[in-house]
Amino acid sequence: MGFNSFRSCRRRVPLVCISAALLMSLAGGANAADITQIVHARKAHFKTLGRNDKFLRDEMHRSHPDWHWIGVYAKQIAALSNALPTWFPAGSGKGHGVATQASREIWEKPTAFARAAQRMKISADNLTRDAAKHDLNALAFNARKLGQSCDSCHRVFRTRSSWW
Amino acid sequence: MANTKSAVRKRVRVWDLPTRIWHWSVLILFAICWWTADTDHMRWHLLAGYGVLGLVTFRIVWGFCGGQTARFSSFVRGPAGVWRYVRKLLKRDGDESLGHNPLGALSIIVMLSLLLLQTILGLFAVNDDGGASGPLSQWVSYETGRRFAHLHAANFNLLLLLIGLHLTAIVFYRLVRGENLVSAMIHGYKSHRASGETPYFVTPWRAILVAASIFIGVVLLVRI
Repeated sequence: MGFNSFRSCRRRVPLVCISAALLMSLAGGANAADITQIVHARKAHFKTLGRNDKFLRDEMHRSHPDWHWIGVYAKQIAALSNALPTWFPAGSGKGHGVATQASREIWEKPTAFARAAQRMKISADNLTRDAAKHDLNALAFNARKLGQSCDSCHRVFRTRSSWW
Repeated sequence: MANTKSAVRKRVRVWDLPTRIWHWSVLILFAICWWTADTDHMRWHLLAGYGVLGLVTFRIVWGFCGGQTARFSSFVRGPAGVWRYVRKLLKRDGDESLGHNPLGALSIIVMLSLLLLQTILGLFAVNDDGGASGPLSQWVSYETGRRFAHLHAANFNLLLLLIGLHLTAIVFYRLVRGENLVSAMIHGYKSHRASGETPYFVTPWRAILVAASIFIGVVLLVRI
């Protein structure tokens, strides 16, 4: 499958899905019946975030980046980043019969988690600004910053499976 | 001590400097890759991965143009040769290979193959929620990139298994055959039959030239 085919595929990513996913985010507490749905929705959000992040980086690496699509992906990343803190309602961590990598630190250290989410939001908002300015160097810089904010958040707030 | 000619031993240089540097560099970079992946230092993980890619490429090239004990032609044997060696394995005075023995040859071929596969999978791998992806991931879809990432993780477990076997073999050779493989890989010398051959080596400049070419190639490939 050629590169252009991938490009056409990804352009068919429906924005409606993003909006629907955002609407599914629950800000309040969760009862037991909702937890599975919340965790699955959370995973779907992160996958959507990953897809848009990849699409953005792919577009940046082209010899002639399409600024329209860079703008679209940057806005979607920003929208998802803004909504991220609402994906972790109380009681949606481990121990409810559904697999999740969300660390209990999220709920035990809400201020630190909010700060991490804020760092990501700032980087994501900067991406939309850089996209609007068609500034590729700034975009690359803030894409790196966004990646670093993801990593630093994962280090504290995401558990990993291990061999022991 | 036996008076047989084969019992008279001398210190023979078996590993050239590039091969020894390669061995310990792979060990260090593999450990860095493991730690950085487990602790979400993905930028460093990528850099260490590029290093492993360069090292594996170097070793493959060095296997054709390096010193005698580094060359594949000097140690890769067919099934019959491996079997003959295995039958003598428990005897201390059995087959004595200068460099890699036929069983070790199998190990290094599998190790190099898995390391090469690991780096290739990593080049195309895509992180689940973005932030860090392989430098060639733009050529595959998100879903395919995720499949590469899963294979990257599965192949890593195979590598751990192989490293476990490698370490077991080192202990076995030390305890059963009385050979210290680790020190030989540090200083390059091992005790060998005095009547045995002395391997030839090539100029270090050849290694430097090969390493520099590969370094440039990897940089161009991943566009750091």
